[in-house]
Amino acid sequence: MSLALNTTRRLRLGHVDLSLIPLGLAGLFLAMLVLLPLGWLLAYTVTDESGALSWTNVVELADTSLFLEPFITTFGIALGVASLACLLAVPLAWLVARTDVPARRLLRGLVMVSFITPPFIGAVAWVLLAAPNSGLLNQYYRGITGAGTFDYLFNIFSAAGIIFVMASYAFPYVFVLAANTLDRMPHDLEEASAILGGGRWHTFRRVTLPMVLPALLAGFIIAFLQAMTQFGTPAILALPAGFHVLTTKIWSLFQFPPKAHLAAACAMPLLLVTIFLLRLEKTLLGRRGYTMVGGKSGSPQLAKLGVWRWPALLLALLLLFVTVLLPNLVLVRASMLRSVSDPWTLETITWANVPLVFGLSNTVGVLKNTLVTGVVSATLGTAFAVLIAYLTARRAVPGHQVLGFLATAPAAIPGIVLGVALFIAYTRPPFQLYGTLWILLLAFLTIEMPPAYQQMQAAFRGLNPELEDASRILGAGRMKSLAKVVAPLLKTSVAATWCFVFIGAIRELSATILLTTSNTKLVSVLIYDLNEGGALGGIAVLGLVLMAVTAVVVLIANRVAHVGVMPDGR
Amino acid sequence: MSKLVLSGLTKRYGSHAAVDTLDLTVESGHLVSLLGPSGCGKTTTLRLVSGFAVPDGGSISVAGQVVSSARGVVPPEKREMSMIFQSYALWPHLTVAENVAYGLKLRKLPRADIERRVQAMLDTMQLRRFEARYPAELSGGQQQRVGLARALVVEPKILLLDEPLSNLDASLREEMRHEIRRLHDRFHYTTIYVTHDQAEAMTTSDLIAVMRDGKIEQAGAPDDIYERPETEFVARFIGSTNILRGRRVGEHEADCDGLRLVCESGHWPEDGSAVVSIRPHRITLSGAADGSAPGTVERAIYLGAQRHYIVALDAGPKLQVLASSDVLAHEGERVGLTLPPAHCRALIR
Repeated sequence: MSLALNTTRRLRLGHVDLSLIPLGLAGLFLAMLVLLPLGWLLAYTVTDESGALSWTNVVELADTSLFLEPFITTFGIALGVASLACLLAVPLAWLVARTDVPARRLLRGLVMVSFITPPFIGAVAWVLLAAPNSGLLNQYYRGITGAGTFDYLFNIFSAAGIIFVMASYAFPYVFVLAANTLDRMPHDLEEASAILGGGRWHTFRRVTLPMVLPALLAGFIIAFLQAMTQFGTPAILALPAGFHVLTTKIWSLFQFPPKAHLAAACAMPLLLVTIFLLRLEKTLLGRRGYTMVGGKSGSPQLAKLGVWRWPALLLALLLLFVTVLLPNLVLVRASMLRSVSDPWTLETITWANVPLVFGLSNTVGVLKNTLVTGVVSATLGTAFAVLIAYLTARRAVPGHQVLGFLATAPAAIPGIVLGVALFIAYTRPPFQLYGTLWILLLAFLTIEMPPAYQQMQAAFRGLNPELEDASRILGAGRMKSLAKVVAPLLKTSVAATWCFVFIGAIRELSATILLTTSNTKLVSVLIYDLNEGGALGGIAVLGLVLMAVTAVVVLIANRVAHVGVMPDGR
Repeated sequence: MSKLVLSGLTKRYGSHAAVDTLDLTVESGHLVSLLGPSGCGKTTTLRLVSGFAVPDGGSISVAGQVVSSARGVVPPEKREMSMIFQSYALWPHLTVAENVAYGLKLRKLPRADIERRVQAMLDTMQLRRFEARYPAELSGGQQQRVGLARALVVEPKILLLDEPLSNLDASLREEMRHEIRRLHDRFHYTTIYVTHDQAEAMTTSDLIAVMRDGKIEQAGAPDDIYERPETEFVARFIGSTNILRGRRVGEHEADCDGLRLVCESGHWPEDGSAVVSIRPHRITLSGAADGSAPGTVERAIYLGAQRHYIVALDAGPKLQVLASSDVLAHEGERVGLTLPPAHCRALIR
């Protein structure tokens, strides 16, 4: 006889599928998260202040100073950033992936360090280094050459300066893509070409390049998008130089009196270009043959650099020193000095900046806000990502494809566009959330949903559904199987996702800048405000605190999951 | 042990019927194989039986009680069945002993009882030495035995096996199919065994159900299916065979491109056509003067115990012949074939 289960066996006739309830709720919430703000954005674009249908906003986009000039500037800068980032990243990736240059692991590690620094803090660091008058590099230049007081070598407040700073923080993304492709590319393909009589140059041109090209173009697009949608760096560097990019222009439209309709109209092209470029990237990376098909292939044959090994290493180190280490070093220096122009000696070192920052009336409140929104967004965002990833990965419910689409859609919404959209959507009944931390929470949930969902989706895909089926057939219900089998196996992915969302939330500036009020300020906005007030020592302290927290969380995440966590730079 | 009856079972995905009005009875204590190529609906059938899928029509009953119909299903966890998975589906975070004990703990048995049953099962499966190991530390064959132990220890009413050996290498697979039959002879659970490997099905089963396009094409004992196929699909799927086409010219006689064949068994299509199957090892190869069908050896392959010939008959058709290795013929040589009426079988399609 069989061992009876302690349950009554019954046929559920005409049963209602209970799993439809989480689907409905999740779908509704996701739809609200994404569609409501975007719907209002569209509505505001095509209406005027009175709410009547009107094309005036769109017509006004033709006004040069409002839209066309910033748009062209943005495009130019983004092109520059993407080109420079590729120019820096690709040779470096080739060096560490395909040559016998010494210290390859160190070089890779240094590139990863660059992810720790939020780009807008990097921009402040470069102000310290290369502002025309006070910049340290310019001071040294004058000291060495004896040039006049107003002479300078570098001017970071310029289009070239912005391109350089943005490229320093965009090239790691291109590097990772390029290096991964080169790592994964089986060298036997290159050898096959060589055996068939292809010369080195021929092999590179006809075999290596075509295989790396899609990744390269995708990297170019990523860098371009970052440059186009970032707010912090251009706000810190372009505004003093007296020009606007699109993101700063949109922000300026929110300065009193706010012109939300115009801002919506300005945000629309940014949204459309982003969607277009992301689709393009997907087609490029989705092409067959980019991910190499099958077969084992040994470790790649490394190109012998010969006498050029050490000069190549030196050049790579110099590049990483300038783009990664130097800005962080100058932040450490600034945090310890009363005035940034003081020399850095034992006598001048001071802790004064620490009490100065924390003595500001609102700093403690700001830190608390940041921590609270960070923890709550990470917890809710992860829970939500787990739920949706489960429903889609297991095809548990009809309509799961729609859920997956909604969860990844926010990736195409630049932070500042989301800021505009949320501002419009939640300053009106029934959801009057502006001025509360809730609106920030919604922003972070929306922004972080795509990466969090994708991580959990990958985790569920890696988990054979038969593990769950085995538990159920042996007598455990769906929820019990989730608790006893799925949860223990996924806890590392869940922890990593939590860290990921947390880091993203505490560093966010582009959307936050439009959504905070004096009571709901976050660290990123405080840093931005301090910059406007010229309190660079204080920024350095806060920036270092933010980076230290990020570094610790990244380390924890790496330890628990061996997942490379790459917070993005919005 | 319970009798399992599937009647009129249907499962559609969109407009495609993965399982199409399928009828099958598994007698209590029998082992029935669902055998067929991939996509024939055998795994879907198993998922319907296990309760993971809801049928669109028909019903499944266990010991006379309906457990699945289009109106609802008893969920898998309440069916008192066990399942062996293609991937083994061992939980990597639990040890061998914990994996095996899982189902017993859910049945809220006393701790000592659980311990005793787990140990006895581990002994049966020769897994005692590995009880503290994690699945990742075991070989494929050991993992498969843990899967079996975990499924058997709860003493299920029905045992389901989903291509359980397809991830093992050839020699281990052969060993495990005997192991599965041995365990069945010992425990006698009502069992459904899904496989695409005919040798596996022949070794393990009391009854083989050959599936095609969501239906059972033919069901019978292994020798029945092999010796008396009803259709060309079954004849080809179980072992290799020669299929000859032509028209019916007599009560028991077919004309296939001028080759006259007398079939002692089988059924004829109603439209006057003829499809005849004859297994390669049933054909006798002899000198050109002997035999009813003269021809020329086109290929001769030495297989050790046997010789495999491809013979082009003067009448037209080419036939595969398996002969003992004593029967030697060279490529290009003239030979005569004998096609015994006892082994020529007429097929309905």
